Amino acid sequence: MSEKKNTTLIAIAIIGIIIGVIIGYGIAALMKPAPTQAPTQPTKPEFTFYYVSHGGPADPWWAPVIKGSQDAGKLLGVKVVYNGPEKFSIQALVNLVESAIAANPDGMIVTITDYKALDEPLRKAINKGIPVIAVNVPDPRPKGERIPYLSYVGQNEYDAGYYLAKYLIDTGYKPKRVIIGIHEVGHIGLETRAKGIIDAIKEKYPDVPVEKLDITTDPTKAAEVIKNYLTAHPDTDVIFTLGPLGAHPALQVLDEMGLSGKVKLLTIDIDDTILKAIEEGKLLAAVSQQPYAQGFLPVVFMYLYVKYGIIPPEHVPTGPTVIDKTRLEDVRKQIATTGGA
Amino acid sequence: MVDSKKILRELAQHPEFGVLISLVVLATAFASITPDKFLTIPTLYSALTLASELGVVTIGIAFLMITGEFDLSVGSVYALVPMMVAFMVNSGVDMLIASIIMLLVAFGIGLLNGVITIKTGIPSFITTLGMMMFLRGILLALTGGFPVRLENPHWLIYVLNGSIGTEGLRTGAIWLVIVTAIFSFILDWTPYGNWTFAVGASAETARELGVPSAKVKIINFGISALMAGLAGLMAFSRFRIVDPTLGEGLELEAITGAVLGGCLLTGGYGSMVGSFMGAFLIAMTRVGLVLAKAPAYWYRAFIGVILIIATIINMTIVRKFVTSG
Repeated sequence: MSEKKNTTLIAIAIIGIIIGVIIGYGIAALMKPAPTQAPTQPTKPEFTFYYVSHGGPADPWWAPVIKGSQDAGKLLGVKVVYNGPEKFSIQALVNLVESAIAANPDGMIVTITDYKALDEPLRKAINKGIPVIAVNVPDPRPKGERIPYLSYVGQNEYDAGYYLAKYLIDTGYKPKRVIIGIHEVGHIGLETRAKGIIDAIKEKYPDVPVEKLDITTDPTKAAEVIKNYLTAHPDTDVIFTLGPLGAHPALQVLDEMGLSGKVKLLTIDIDDTILKAIEEGKLLAAVSQQPYAQGFLPVVFMYLYVKYGIIPPEHVPTGPTVIDKTRLEDVRKQIATTGGA
Repeated sequence: MVDSKKILRELAQHPEFGVLISLVVLATAFASITPDKFLTIPTLYSALTLASELGVVTIGIAFLMITGEFDLSVGSVYALVPMMVAFMVNSGVDMLIASIIMLLVAFGIGLLNGVITIKTGIPSFITTLGMMMFLRGILLALTGGFPVRLENPHWLIYVLNGSIGTEGLRTGAIWLVIVTAIFSFILDWTPYGNWTFAVGASAETARELGVPSAKVKIINFGISALMAGLAGLMAFSRFRIVDPTLGEGLELEAITGAVLGGCLLTGGYGSMVGSFMGAFLIAMTRVGLVLAKAPAYWYRAFIGVILIIATIINMTIVRKFVTSG
């Protein structure tokens, strides 16, 4: 019996440590954002906008978007409520859109991640008189059929892939064999990026083999899959990855194999590691979506529309911008000020 | 004839038998498709590297499964441990100390899983599912979704997952072998191993025989989490970066490895060497398919089929030779 008690005691002590560590970090994490939010908001907000996206806290790409939307709100004296599901889920996104409509805001900014699922609720909102701006993902249907939103702010995924591959081709390089490491197979955004890459290469060089590789979000698997592919196909000279989750292990494995810079690596989306790799010549180029703009601009357009009746242009592109060695300075500034690029 | 049957019966007493057949069959298949690329030392090392983190997690989970319990929180622990170590090291703590602290915390999380499961009688499937979500949520909340990078290298990362030679061997693979050997020894040669089997076969009977059932289960929960934490540190040591999504889905892959390796979901039966082979089988399949130039998207479908076939082999063996004997 006393042994049992001992185990329980040890367990309780360890639980104490865990909770202590977690609470400690939790408090530290909570303390940080507080000062940035506190000093503004002097008067009651003039309007309330709901920003609903499929990007939750799990995806770091959305952090600058959230910051951009909040910064614009502060500048304009508008309250921007940001909502996104914790884990990618269309059902959860639709539920969030429904509850946003129920709150009857002055405007809604929504990612049209699934136009079929969002068609009905968004038309309902527009009929109720709530203006809608699409962001990040547009409704792909032609104008008469698509959800009648005011404007679409963002790049499209296809262009991100297409212009990245075109960048490589425009340098005059003819690839021998190309692989595209896709870290979430079946994710429509990533598949669309991949399609853009494939189309751009096939347009110019229809005979060059371009293959998609399922590299998963696990770095070890990604590294070993790429390594084995390079063993099976030693003529591979270009690797595209579709996000940092693919680019990090690709950089590592090329380093380990002594192929950094020899095999050309290009990627979509940017972070510190990727910028450093561009600087060191280990990564040729990366596409920046300028996510902060996707948070900031729709709020501004919504404000102009609601307050002054200014109708925004049908499509406001925020990219794709291909970053190579020559553009590092601007991107560094963007990351330092907005938290991402 | 009689002799060969006897040998077969003898072999089939080992839970590794099913997975060994699957391994040989698959390896032969891959070797005949690409003999020049598959049967090489770098390929072996690559498969071992792929198996190493998964294998260490699988060993821990298999040990727990033999006691008849589950742990779905391993994927989250796998990310939590290196994440906290990265935080601590970046703020000035020595990596060795940070790692020891976090491995203790991991062990504690496992014990907590065990205590909740045993004291309340909630199925471990639910307890650890809750723990999995809780820890993942903490990770996301602390990082805001951003990856955390190790700023300065430390000697420990070479010990945990450094490169040996030029052919692709890594210390991670050696860790896997060491962990397998240790737990194999505990399971097969110590009284604690007997207790683990006894508790898994029937906790009631074991208790009547004087085995501290609850204690054994709780400690095995701890072992499972501890191994997940160690594996997480191994992954971190190679890439020096932790994404808050690291290890998502790992729990199912580890359970797949353990089941392929001959562990029964109901407990009381299984082996460490088998689990090692189960993890290796998964890794080898991935490597083999890439080398065989199979379309990349077929991997998952392939693993699904192998899992079902290997389990059928295992179940047949268990029914025919083990439970009757």
